[in-house]
Amino acid sequence: MKRVLPLVLAAITVVLIVMAWFESGGVERHVLRSAATPEQATRLMLSQIQTHNFDAAYARLANRNDLDKNTFIHEFTGSYGSLLTISALEGFDVGVLHASDQEATVRARLHYATGVGPLDDTRDLTVQRTGDTWKVVWPVDTTAKLPPQVIPVNYLRWDVISRGSGDDWGAQNVDSPQVRIVSMNAIQRPDSVVVLGEVVNEDSVPAYVNVGATLLGPNDEELAQESSFDKIAHTLLPRQVSPYRIDFPNMRLEKIKNVRMEAKALLIAASADPVIAIDQQKLETDRLGRKVLSGKLTNQSGQIVSIPHVIAAYYDSNGKVIWVSDGYVAQALLPQMPVPFAVDLPPDVAKNVQTYRVIVNHFELTT
Amino acid sequence: MMRKILTAEFAEKTRRPRRMGLRYSSILALLAALACVVLVRELRVLAKENAPRVQLHADNLGPRSIEDLTSKSIPRDYALAWQTMEQALEENRPGLLDGYFTGIAKQDLTQRVHSQIKSGLHTRYQDGGHKLEAIFYSPAGDVMELRDRAKLDIEIMDGGKVIYQEPVSIEYTVTMTPGADRWLVRELQASGGVKP
Amino acid sequence: MRSVLTAFIVCLFALAAGAAELHPPAQVTAGNSITIATSGSGDATFYLIGQSVASKRHVQAGTEIAVDSEQLERAGIYTAILCASDGCASANFVVTPAAPNRLSFLVHPSRVPVDSPNRISAVAFVQDNFHNFVLKSEAVKFSVLPKDGKEISATRNSENGVAWVRLSSAKKEGPTRLGAEIGHANEIRVVQQVAADACNLRIKASRAKKDFLVETDPVKDCSGNSVPDGTVVSFTKVDEAGKATVDVPIKRGVAKVELPVDGRAKITVASGVVTGNELEVAGGQ
Repeated sequence: MKRVLPLVLAAITVVLIVMAWFESGGVERHVLRSAATPEQATRLMLSQIQTHNFDAAYARLANRNDLDKNTFIHEFTGSYGSLLTISALEGFDVGVLHASDQEATVRARLHYATGVGPLDDTRDLTVQRTGDTWKVVWPVDTTAKLPPQVIPVNYLRWDVISRGSGDDWGAQNVDSPQVRIVSMNAIQRPDSVVVLGEVVNEDSVPAYVNVGATLLGPNDEELAQESSFDKIAHTLLPRQVSPYRIDFPNMRLEKIKNVRMEAKALLIAASADPVIAIDQQKLETDRLGRKVLSGKLTNQSGQIVSIPHVIAAYYDSNGKVIWVSDGYVAQALLPQMPVPFAVDLPPDVAKNVQTYRVIVNHFELTT
Repeated sequence: MMRKILTAEFAEKTRRPRRMGLRYSSILALLAALACVVLVRELRVLAKENAPRVQLHADNLGPRSIEDLTSKSIPRDYALAWQTMEQALEENRPGLLDGYFTGIAKQDLTQRVHSQIKSGLHTRYQDGGHKLEAIFYSPAGDVMELRDRAKLDIEIMDGGKVIYQEPVSIEYTVTMTPGADRWLVRELQASGGVKP
Repeated sequence: MRSVLTAFIVCLFALAAGAAELHPPAQVTAGNSITIATSGSGDATFYLIGQSVASKRHVQAGTEIAVDSEQLERAGIYTAILCASDGCASANFVVTPAAPNRLSFLVHPSRVPVDSPNRISAVAFVQDNFHNFVLKSEAVKFSVLPKDGKEISATRNSENGVAWVRLSSAKKEGPTRLGAEIGHANEIRVVQQVAADACNLRIKASRAKKDFLVETDPVKDCSGNSVPDGTVVSFTKVDEAGKATVDVPIKRGVAKVELPVDGRAKITVASGVVTGNELEVAGGQ
């Protein structure tokens, strides 16, 4: 009996170690160490990236001569305070699209966990046979580098002198900005009720805006209350319009008699810079068969935009907002360097879309 | 009468079965009294936990007409303001005033609680309800003036001794201003009436 | 019989000794000191309870008790209590507001589009020096002092301590000063009159190096005031490459943007809910 307990504990420890090894992708790493197929080669490289073993991952590339190691590492760890700098590669799916004896095309879907939620990145990679192993050709970014320069910026900036901590009621004050909800539409989605529309800053100063909605039942009782959270551009310059979307999960439209809307606005210090152009916008079907609105973002100012956030409003033939979708862009926007984006929309909505409008919200990481 | 039943002299004269009956009835009476004390205490606690009754009349309000939501928030927040004020003055806890008071009203009441603490006093209210009449709502919606006819039973105590107790009917002029998520009492000025 | 007689004698003694009583003035003006006459004799404790005060001190019953003006600054109902060995007596008195000499002056909005009828509201709460609301009707003088114009004034009587007016904004942008006056109080607030929505928003296009430079005419409202810098103007271009949009803030009165054009393109402009003209341009492939 005295020996049973140590034996049991030892057995449990062994089991736990084995489980941890499995969980950390140990089997994959062990099996793929040889990289005998294009899929195994891709999986091996991505599992090494996942464990931050960038040296080993870089060593397994077929095109090391064309690709600088730091550039390769920044593809996964981000730079200039971009979204990837606060992300981790959580997992990946790999599938071979087509293969020959010497070369194959592999589709890798990288799943990142980011500070703003999950982010997927789909890459079609070429994998080449080198001797008896396969190696990944990582796509080289051929965009010209931004030359060092000084970009003069003289856009407006608004600063706010707030009321002091003391109570000075009835003294001179600066009012909150005037904002107005210009449209609102409540629609039923399979699993939720969605309230969407647009809000405009009607004032001559910037506003920090949040739109809230309260669903009211047949007896005017409050059923649920939600806000637009990040489905809105919170900082609106004078006369700027932003779409908003408020999701009410597990609600049915037929149970709702009325919706009470509220747009709250606060005075905020803001800059009219940066200006971001959204070019080549088009509705299309992406490589995964999803309906997306894609385009390119170009930062026309001198300031680097760390985390761009794209928000799109879609209108039907009557000019009514029928959907709002958004997405974060993993890359930072360097001045004058176009960066592609794509936000998806439900297929049943896509067929009714007549036109759309895209705006770019941006966030900076402060240290 | 009860006091006489409990005297030894009277007990000696009573016969045994009657004495037994009296003993049981006195125990029952004591239990009933205890139950009453507990009940009264509980009811008082319950009363303190419930906000006072406030009826709002806004028929003659102007120049801005009252919004649906505001017509619900004003009596609710005013009742909660009174509830916290009564608790603050009874328990001498100035911190309770932070929730529903601002400006001069908060300054006054905080000063009152501090001077109560200094003097060893506390004030207990039995709140008989408030008839609140909205008389002015500014065009910008940033201030509302109201008149409150309150029925109160005020008890002022120095330590454990009651030094003043009177039922009163007081008229207050009240101004309330909107805060982040509630209306706050900014001015509470008794303007007339003392006797019920 | 003996006990009844004893009780009667005690009552007589009590009446002869005279229970302590208080005689405050029925009404006091805020900020004035008072004396409260008392009856009775011996050591006693005097309490004063008001909106912001709860004081306690030892006094001699039968003397006059002085109450400082600082204790009577806030208007409202005060309770004076005198407790002696034979019990407590109390009396209520009212402190009324002093003469009006202060205004809480609320003016909204602090920014207003030009030519907006009755858009500005000015509300004055009439108070005395101690922040008490003066509830009896008083005349408050409201005035408008335009940047380069003559002062206009009007008098309104307060009701329940409040006087108010509604005003329209001028047709010309710029700050205007609003005043309210009573007693020695003369409060001034500044309202910024800003340009209204853009009117006749127009764009023109010219060829830049490889793109088109699209710019607005000076953006003005319908009264001819310049729409403030920083106001966003949205440019939209539709060509063979797809749709492009840029939100550009007005700088020095105009908004401009460089747009690459692929083939024939339509360019439109909008600011808030106002739309402007449409241009058709043809660019190189």
